[in-house]
Amino acid sequence: MTVQTQPTQARKNRKSMAWEHFLAWFGILLVILLSIFPIWIVLKTALSSSTTLFESGGQLLPSEPTLDNFKRVLGMVTAEEALKAGGSGQSVNFLKSIWNSVIFTGLIVIGQTFFSALAAYAFARLKFPFRDQIFTLFLTAMMIPGIVLFIPNFITIKNLGWLNTMQGLVAPYILMTPFAVFFLRQFFLSIPRETEEAAVLDGASPFMIFWKVVLPMSQGPLATLGILTTIGMWNEFFWPYLIGKDESVYTLPVALQQFQTQTPQGSPDWTGLMSGAFLSIIPVFILLLIMGKRVIESLAFSGGK
Amino acid sequence: MKKFVTLSSILALTSALSTASAATTVDYWLWDSAQLPAYQQCAKDFTKLNPDINIKITQKGWDDYWTGITTGFVAGTAPDVFTNHLSKYPEFAANGQIVDFAPWIKRDSVKTNIYLEGLYSLWGRDGKQYGLPKDWDTVAIIYNKDMLKKAGISEKTLNALKWNPKDGGSFEKVIAQLTLDQNGNNGLSKNFDKTKVKQYGLLNPYDPNPYGQTGWSWLAVSNGFKYNDGLYATKYYYDDPRLAETIQWLTDLSLKKGFLIPYKDIRGLGANSQFVAGKGAMTTDGSWMIKWYIDNAKFDVGFALLPVGPTGKRTSMFNGLADSIWVGSKKKEEAWKWVKYLGSPACENVVGKYGAVFPAVNSGVNLALATHKKNGADVSAFTKTAKAKGSTFLFPITDNASQINSIMTTALENVFLGKTPAAEALKEANQKVNALFK
Repeated sequence: MTVQTQPTQARKNRKSMAWEHFLAWFGILLVILLSIFPIWIVLKTALSSSTTLFESGGQLLPSEPTLDNFKRVLGMVTAEEALKAGGSGQSVNFLKSIWNSVIFTGLIVIGQTFFSALAAYAFARLKFPFRDQIFTLFLTAMMIPGIVLFIPNFITIKNLGWLNTMQGLVAPYILMTPFAVFFLRQFFLSIPRETEEAAVLDGASPFMIFWKVVLPMSQGPLATLGILTTIGMWNEFFWPYLIGKDESVYTLPVALQQFQTQTPQGSPDWTGLMSGAFLSIIPVFILLLIMGKRVIESLAFSGGK
Repeated sequence: MKKFVTLSSILALTSALSTASAATTVDYWLWDSAQLPAYQQCAKDFTKLNPDINIKITQKGWDDYWTGITTGFVAGTAPDVFTNHLSKYPEFAANGQIVDFAPWIKRDSVKTNIYLEGLYSLWGRDGKQYGLPKDWDTVAIIYNKDMLKKAGISEKTLNALKWNPKDGGSFEKVIAQLTLDQNGNNGLSKNFDKTKVKQYGLLNPYDPNPYGQTGWSWLAVSNGFKYNDGLYATKYYYDDPRLAETIQWLTDLSLKKGFLIPYKDIRGLGANSQFVAGKGAMTTDGSWMIKWYIDNAKFDVGFALLPVGPTGKRTSMFNGLADSIWVGSKKKEEAWKWVKYLGSPACENVVGKYGAVFPAVNSGVNLALATHKKNGADVSAFTKTAKAKGSTFLFPITDNASQINSIMTTALENVFLGKTPAAEALKEANQKVNALFK
């Protein structure tokens, strides 16, 4: 940034600039601290020994720092030892759950993005009867709160015999969500028709145009959608919890339930829960580090979700 | 389209999550992780005796557990055998979701007189039997030995306390004496500052639910209150003034006098965590938590008898768990074999040795006491109460448990938070509860 002003003016400006800079930085730091603080508390709790946790509720540093809780979560101690450590005696089958989460999230992200793109392209460019009415229906579907769909979806999955299976877990999400279709359609509409017309003159079929021309031009929004879906699905709890009652199909958020209250009047195993929660944040955190810029652009692009 | 091809192959792979085994596998669920090692041992022994039956044990936390069971009934994914609770089983029985054992008990002439008195009948209704008892529990005072020594209160004093709802009796005096503010004044001193309490005399779990098992039931019943007229009664007495004054005494002890940790501080963490964190000198809890306190407290933990109430008796709820079989189980015979084994001395003695809970048969109880003694804990406060005549009352079992639960929880929480006086809230709640039976 260059400022072209008179020298005297410049000094004044520099002064006010410095002041403004300071304010801006201060504001940013404050927001960073506010957003990091809860994560720090999670980590602090994870590193505390469960017996001393409540004596040091107000401290910022863990009391009697220990890695035991992480070991417990990863199943590196026996149930007896874990009980002695004040845990629920439960270890999450962490690697299995991570794997399930990766498959669950991966399948949905790939499937949903691809199929939604197909539908969006049809709505944006192809002419077929009742197209606009169908699209209106679609938009109406966005207004239905997800929670009311749980019971009919559950019954469908049950009748298909897909309870406790991966296909049952991904079924409601893998084909599309109205949001994804709407979001991509808006983008496809903004692609200049000339490029597609050129492809038509070269004798390309609609699918070829979609595959060879439109998709490569829409990498930005596709990536955006992928990232948003990844974050959403990685943290998705209720559906996997309803469908996957068997340990073999637990996703991470469901597996973390093991640290809940173990007896009627007991209290949750906070240290174990926080270790698990912290470990489950890491993959998404890495994704954000790599793709952070994209996410910010895309959120600005989509106007936030 | 490469992506798409791999996608379908992954789907095919993940759906191949089946396990093959030659023997029958019986699914068994329980919620208390502290009891898991004991029952795993039982399962091992059982499979030795019955090589053709494998037991697959799943443990889930309390809330998650009941969601899993109830949705499982509907979805057809419930376990063959599961640990049942007295507050839950009448509804399962009424909905025809659990198996009646009576014909099988007759067929296999199972001995039903080996259990501690009263336990077996808790699980029956109109000649039907929905569970075989496996353990029992009572409530006692759990205290921090160091804090008691500092206050100069002997264990003998602690085991001979008297309580009444008017002035709290010697029980309240001891609680006050064990409460310290930041200046080191205790609750009996004129200079005691109730806004700066460092150590509470009592960490009551409050238990804002229809039963008050560890929180208020032992006080209310020792004051002459009774829930109802027995098994499957259709009328509750929650509007009894003797209950109201008990609940009010607890509330005032916390909100007005500051000797008792306020309910809002217990809500999220539980009284047990606060106790092991050294926030108070005493708490009250059930015998299933003995091991937890010993494992988790960094100080010496003692167990003492509950106080004697205005009726001249000390009282504790006497409650027990049993195993039930789901109606939809496809392996009922194998499941029944397992349930029989769980309720037999063979398994109950193993459970006793582990010392997590008191088994339902006497021989197991003695083993549990011996185990605790070996670990340096005298837990006879729990067993003395169980064996004293007229000291125990049973868990109130009636229909409509889940609705009663929501009504009473709301009412009692409002009282404990200081929003409504006990008499008023309980009167109103009782009307709502009794309306359910009309």
